[in-house]
Order: sequence, then C-alpha cells, then structure tokens
Amino acid sequence: MLKLLRCEFAKLRRKPLFFGAAAVSALIPLGCALFLPDFREFTSGAQAVEGMMSTLFQMSAYLLLMPALVVLAANLLFEEQDNDTLKSLLTVPVSKSALAAAKMALLFLFSVAFMAVGGLVILAIVTAAGWEPVGFWRLFLVGIGEGIMMWAGALPCILLVVLLNRSYIVSVIVTFFYTSVNYIFGASDYFIMQPFGFNPGTLLPGPLAFRWFFQYLDASDSSAQVAELLNRISPYFVTAPQAFFVVIIESAVFLFFIALVYKRQRC
Amino acid sequence: MSDYVIETCGLTKKYGEQNCVSDLSIHVRKGRIYGLLGRNGAGKTTTMRMLLGLTPPSSGNVKIFGRPLRGSEKSILPRIGSLIESPGFYPNLTGTENLQIFAGLRGLKSPQYIKNALEVVNLPYRDKKLFSQYSLGMKQRLAIALAVMHNPELLILDEPINGLDPIGIAEMRDFIRELCNATGKTILISSHILSEISLLADDIGIIDHGVLLEEESLEELEAKNGKYLRFTVSNALMAANLLQTRLGIYNVEVDNANELTVRDLRLDTGEAVRLFVDAGLYVSDAHLYEDTLEDYFKQVTGGEGIA
Repeated sequence: MLKLLRCEFAKLRRKPLFFGAAAVSALIPLGCALFLPDFREFTSGAQAVEGMMSTLFQMSAYLLLMPALVVLAANLLFEEQDNDTLKSLLTVPVSKSALAAAKMALLFLFSVAFMAVGGLVILAIVTAAGWEPVGFWRLFLVGIGEGIMMWAGALPCILLVVLLNRSYIVSVIVTFFYTSVNYIFGASDYFIMQPFGFNPGTLLPGPLAFRWFFQYLDASDSSAQVAELLNRISPYFVTAPQAFFVVIIESAVFLFFIALVYKRQRC
Repeated sequence: MSDYVIETCGLTKKYGEQNCVSDLSIHVRKGRIYGLLGRNGAGKTTTMRMLLGLTPPSSGNVKIFGRPLRGSEKSILPRIGSLIESPGFYPNLTGTENLQIFAGLRGLKSPQYIKNALEVVNLPYRDKKLFSQYSLGMKQRLAIALAVMHNPELLILDEPINGLDPIGIAEMRDFIRELCNATGKTILISSHILSEISLLADDIGIIDHGVLLEEESLEELEAKNGKYLRFTVSNALMAANLLQTRLGIYNVEVDNANELTVRDLRLDTGEAVRLFVDAGLYVSDAHLYEDTLEDYFKQVTGGEGIA
C-alpha cells in the first residue's frame, strides 16, 4: 500500500491541476488578508487568528477543498484508463481495489495538507502583522480535523463520479451541486439544529462539520451576530468522538463502494 | 511436471453471443519462441489478455509454469513481462520516470534495472523528453523495456514490432532472439506479419476467427510445406506428355500453354530439361519452388494471405 501511495505521488509530477489546487490553499488566506476590509479591523492576535481561521473553515474548506477533492479524484481515478496504464499495473500485479485505496489515501493527505498549509499561511500573516498568534494551534488542529471531514464528505460525490465513468461535464455539474448543497445545508438551521443521531444533520458532511468546528470558535471576541448563532446552536454541537465516529463509518462504507465500482472498470 | 510454460485447455471467450476465442488449446514450450499468427481480429490479443488474467475466460483454463493462473496471479504474474496492444504510460512523465513507477511497484530498488532495460531498447536513461513527446517507435521501445525490466522468465508480447521502422524491426527481432538464446527465456509473440513470425518463432500457432487451426514447430511446418518444380517451355502440353511417357512422372499439372508444375520430386531437373530440348522444345525457365508460410497460412485458413 505504501509503495502504491509513493507511486501515486510520483505520478503527480508536472500536473498543473494538482499544483493549482494546492496553491489555492495558500492564496485564499493571503488574498483575504490583503483585500478584504474585515482583516484590517482586527485589534488583537486572538481576534485575527479567530477571524482568519473561521474563513479557512467556512470558505476554503467548503467552497474550495471539497470540489477540488472531487475534481482531483476524477483525474486520479480515470488517469489509468485515459493513459491505458491499468493493464500494466494489473500485470505487476496490483489489485484495482488497492489502487483505488491508494488514490483515496493520496486525496486524504492532500486534504489534510490543504488545511495545514492554509493554517500555516494564516500563522505567517498574523505573525508578520506583529500580533501574537493566540489560540492558533488549537484551531490549527481543528482545521486538520475539518480537512479529514471534508475528505470523508467528498467520498459520496467521488463515488457518483466513478459511477458516471468518464463523463466529466456531468461530474463537474454533480460536484458543483454537491458542494453548494453541503454549504447551504451547513449553514441552515434546519440541518444544524438536529440532535446527534440518524438524521441529515448528522449524516451529511456539511452540517456535521459545522456542528463540530463551530464550538471551537471563541464567542467572547466575536460580533453579536456570531455570538447569537453560537448560543443558538451550541446545544446541537457534536463532540469530536461523535463527529469522527460518523466520519469513520461513512468513509469505510463509501471507500468500499468506490473500490467496488473501480474494480468493475475495464482495462 | 509439465514441459509447457503456458498451457491452455479449451480456452473460450464470449462477448454476448459472439465467440471471440473458441476452445483454444495452446502449448508453449520452455525456452522457445512461440509465434501466434493470425489476422487482425483473429483473437490473438484476447488470448494474451486471458493469459495475463486481464480478461476472465468464459470457459477453459490457463496453466502457467505448470500452475493454474486463476488464484495464483500473485506468484505467477511477477515472473511474466508483457506488452499488450498499444503501449500505455503516463504522458506527464519521462520514460525513466515511467519505468521508476513500475520498478517501485515491482520492488526493484536498484536503478540499474531501469538503466539496463532502457539500454537494450536504445533509449536514453534520465532523458528529459516526456512520454507524450515520444514517437510511436519510442513508445513501443519503452513498452518493451518495461516488459523486460524485471528480468522475467516468460515474455508475452502482442505485436511488439508495431510502429517500429525497418531498422527497429530488425533490432527488435535480434533482441528477442537473443533473449531466448542467451537467457533461455520463453517468449510468446503475436503478429499478423507472417515474415516476422517465420523469421523469429520456433513454434507457430495459427489462429483464425478465434480458433487455433494449427500448432506446430517451424521445422514441422517446413517439412509439411509443398515443394514443386515449375517449367516454362514453348509447349507445356507436349512437355507434360514427354514426362509421363518417357520418365513415368504422372503428377504433372499443365498451368497454361507454356507452364507446367511437377509435384513429384523424384524428377531430376537436368534430365527433364535435356528431354525437352531433345524433343525440340524451348525451355526458358526451370525452378524449384517451396511453399512459404503465407501459402500455408492461406491453405489452413482457406482465405487470402496477410501482410
């Protein structure tokens, strides 16, 4: 498995799509810091860390990372078919399931790295602005956790893309729809104000991630609107064990189906 | 223990109602080059795909190195090098980088494996040229390099000379022959080019419409090949009469007014020419012919020859 993962990394050389997606993780916090007026109104390091990390959690993760994961997955999963390399891999022999798993593991690392790089860029901006990054490392770890949640959340969409097999236009439409739905549901009271259990607010990645990471944001320095939101949804927060229990179960199920569908592809 | 490196029994592949390969039983002997000869679409590639486990057979079985392939893929496939259909590599990587990927998967740690493989196919090591910029011939060479990189005991090569220029074809032929002679590798090679198979193979299987029509060694085929004398004379009918009445040679065919074919090789050519000249016939040509593999192919497939 480690060999396969190493090979997956080697295949990424000179792939502009991958490096473009990776660059976005750094550019978004930089762009926000430079051009959005909110960022000039911070009065303390804690406030700057909180505000910028909140942007990373809500904008970068939902609107960039999740679609990037699906697009990269389509690229990774179809590259063997497109380049006619599957037959050479199968005669090594490499199993299709292991190959699919290696590709998903690569996306997992990409997702974690995306959030880590975004967080570190924020740390650099905050430090460069002369503030002390108060509370940064706790939120950095929350960011890593959210990266894992976004990866798990992208798996159902990746499964759909694999099922659609090669139809890039339909895949892009599905990705756009899925990302939008997750973002909207993640911000909708109906979904985020549900108890932990077998319901859409727990099972859908958007609301689940929101109900988990939002509790780590500090309400004391926030605007009245955010403080009110925190107050309203706090009874519905999920604990880290609860959130990651769901993530592990959902990942296992969708990875199984992705491997199953990928296995049926012809070489 | 079986003498065969590859042995199939009743191998059949159906796509829907269509039989792509029917009841195929081939036998590839150790240290020999087996040429699978057939037209395009005859079932050569499907057969090779089944031998590599890339396509499951509808029925029948495959034994490689004396063991059933099914269930033993993990121990059998690493001992095989293959090239199936067009060469497939990652276009964003160089030839060396592509081979590094497969070397990594095969657990070949030393770069010497890649260097050697590229050297035998005359491709540079660590060249900066991307695979997407390769010519068809270079792609084919890289595919051969991939097939031999891990020093396999058995090579399964599907149309390996496709896309190569004439010099490349000759080099590839020498290389394959050398692999078999010097290292004792067993090679199964498919082609629709008769001349290549006849120059390279020790054993030949002729496949047509998915059915194996013949499977013999080249020597056996050559022994079977028809030999005959053909004369071009001023009067073929008179010459035929002379052969029958004076020399007792009856297996004579008059092809046209001036040409006749004699399949009875007891006839001495010099004696026949003298007989014709003495009888006042003008002899412009006397030639001993031997059927080629193409003639044999036409005969067994009951159709036109191929390239």
